[in-house]
Amino acid sequence: MTEPSGTVEAAFFDGETAKRQVVGIAPATDRLALMILREDAAPLRWPFDRLRALRDQSDKGRLTLTVAADTEDEAPRDAARLVIRDKAAIDWILRTRPGLMRRDIRPGTIRSVALWLSAAAAAVVVMLYVILPALADYLADHLPVESEVAFGKSVMKQIEWMVGEDDRIDLRCTAPSGLDALDKMKTRLIRDRDIGYDLSLTVLDHEMVNAFAAPGGQIVIFRGLLDDAESADEVAAVLGHEIGHVAARDPTRLALRAAGSAGILSVVLGDITGGTVIAAAGDHLMQSAYTRDAEAAADDFALTLLNDARIDTAPMAGFFDRIATMTDQVPEYLSSHPLSADRARHARANAATHMSTEPILSAAEWQALQSICDGRARPNPPTSE
Amino acid sequence: MNMNDSLPAAYFGKKGALFALALKTSLLTIVTLGIYRFWAKTRIRKYVWSSITVGEDALEYTGTGLEKFLGFLVAVVILAIYLGFVQLGLFFLGLHFIAEPQNQREALQQIAVFYISLFAVAPLIVFARYRARRYILARTRFRGIRFGMDKAAWGYVWRAIVHSLVTLLTLGLLLPRQTFNLEKYLTDHSHFGDQSFVQGGKWTALYPAVKHILFGAGLVLLSVVVSIAANALAGPGDRFSAGVIAAIVAAIGGYCWIIFGYVYYSVHSFRYLTAHKLLAGTVGFVALPRTGKVIGIYVTGLLIISVVAGFIFGVIGGVTAVFPMSISVSTAGYIVIAVLYLGALAMLGALSLVFITQPMIAHFVDTLAVRNPAGLDSVRQRAYDKGADAGGFADALDVGAAI
Repeated sequence: MTEPSGTVEAAFFDGETAKRQVVGIAPATDRLALMILREDAAPLRWPFDRLRALRDQSDKGRLTLTVAADTEDEAPRDAARLVIRDKAAIDWILRTRPGLMRRDIRPGTIRSVALWLSAAAAAVVVMLYVILPALADYLADHLPVESEVAFGKSVMKQIEWMVGEDDRIDLRCTAPSGLDALDKMKTRLIRDRDIGYDLSLTVLDHEMVNAFAAPGGQIVIFRGLLDDAESADEVAAVLGHEIGHVAARDPTRLALRAAGSAGILSVVLGDITGGTVIAAAGDHLMQSAYTRDAEAAADDFALTLLNDARIDTAPMAGFFDRIATMTDQVPEYLSSHPLSADRARHARANAATHMSTEPILSAAEWQALQSICDGRARPNPPTSE
Repeated sequence: MNMNDSLPAAYFGKKGALFALALKTSLLTIVTLGIYRFWAKTRIRKYVWSSITVGEDALEYTGTGLEKFLGFLVAVVILAIYLGFVQLGLFFLGLHFIAEPQNQREALQQIAVFYISLFAVAPLIVFARYRARRYILARTRFRGIRFGMDKAAWGYVWRAIVHSLVTLLTLGLLLPRQTFNLEKYLTDHSHFGDQSFVQGGKWTALYPAVKHILFGAGLVLLSVVVSIAANALAGPGDRFSAGVIAAIVAAIGGYCWIIFGYVYYSVHSFRYLTAHKLLAGTVGFVALPRTGKVIGIYVTGLLIISVVAGFIFGVIGGVTAVFPMSISVSTAGYIVIAVLYLGALAMLGALSLVFITQPMIAHFVDTLAVRNPAGLDSVRQRAYDKGADAGGFADALDVGAAI
């Protein structure tokens, strides 16, 4: 196709008023510009090298042109628009003007993107890893103990109702001889050490093999753990670990950290496809990293308690070995706890250097502790005929 | 001026072209770990805007991906700091008011302390919506002239919160007042060139549009009454009496009617509000979208998407099941599965754009007309607006606009 001869009709908007003007367009005589011939004004000259077209337009039969200009607008473009519908003219312009679709980026753009990118990364990293942990630790230390105890009781009630099938039933196990054994275990472990709270131990009648520390010095052991344990010293190890969390105020600190960092990762991900899932996963990774450190510290605290009370830590190693088959399927970076195999190795190494030990409970006391839930008022089982 | 003179609007976008653009840009978004989404959104808006014509002239979208990316980064800096301090502070304060719960209801109320961050985020979401709208108008041009919106986001935030609370407290009876007043605030702060839009009419005129929601609610209420009566009358043993069945049918019918009523309300309040908008004191509008068509677009779109989704996720499920266990739980396995799912989500996003969003825009545009278009000729250009955060807050808070 050759260059169109004569003028072609087009619509022109001058960028100053919304009036539609019908104009003629033609290449300039020097072949370096497009001339826009207006009825009641001087012709406009748009140099070919500065000619730009709108991108991603839906109507292929319409070409909208403008010129690159040093304006303050979002893109360096003149506000005037020229709309061409003549097919031959569109083809000719598209074919002969390779710079038509160029994006013109102002100088300094890359610098300002780099600046804000580092500002955003710094703000998020400093908030998540410096300011929020420090602030959470500070606030945890300045929360009145009564509030912390109330918070802990609230957490415990919620857990009790979550695991129980019927919320009217009290799951707490209260056989007196079992409570005595538990008390003896506590006294031998803590002795005259100040852990900052009045420690309160509860056994809940549920088959879960677990124990946890709630805020305010409250520790919950599930019956499943007592059933599963092979000796009282294993339970003592778990209890020592939970006392470590209490002494370090971990439950309160971690709850405050989680509250502060909630949503920050999903802000970083923004409106990305599948962002909610990725943010949840990222949040899990971050919380896990927080808690892994706390878990390792609680293990160390437990070993100190057990050594001071002259209790064998080999059973602790045995316990970790048993749960390793379940827990270590997940890679460590995904888990809220260190690898159980490592924890077992640690406990075994400790046991090798502390030989003169005696069991924390007598056989009779251990028996009493394991039956602490016996005689608890259970809901009547359905009567069968 | 001649109000009988009217210029129809029309939509020319094509399914195939938009699908290709949406799929291509969302795959690029996955490859760039999400960063390309700002350019993806820009390109899709350019396509959709250029498909909307009033008379002979099309809209133009002039936003850029770069400014969106920068706006997002600024929003991340502000939000990371704001959210961290405000959420932690609110949670810490909340801890002082916790007491040992005596029953499950109190325990549930106290769990609310854990979701206290909602109080920190809710006003920001309204703020982000207004600013996103201001940005979109500032980047829309018609006949070379910019639209625009005033810097009045906080005025909108407190009005929106107060109106929502009033509507909630009156059990929805003042919904038309909320709809009208908020739309009036947005309209009265919007401009085309140097001219302003004005929302006329009165809020009580929206009441006829609420009727189907009320009918549906009445039917649900009736079902409650019937089921109570049926329970009272039923003897031991007959658990599914005619009364109970009637109550269930009425409840299901009532809920469906409420959904229909809500769409009817959206469509008909839009008709009224559009017909009572005026630009430059002389240019008017007529909008005649139809409830049946809107529901039809949703239902057809959802059907198509769920059939395709069922197929895609079936294939992915099959592929992952074929993997031996050892590979599927390894890190590489997780990545393969994640990429497959993200690709599938990108596909579904493109489908919903093509089969729901675009037909909906097309229907609303095709049923719109501008009255006395001659009044537009005297409109003059308005000054460039930096566009606030270029929608960055809306993106960071995932406010969730379709395009």
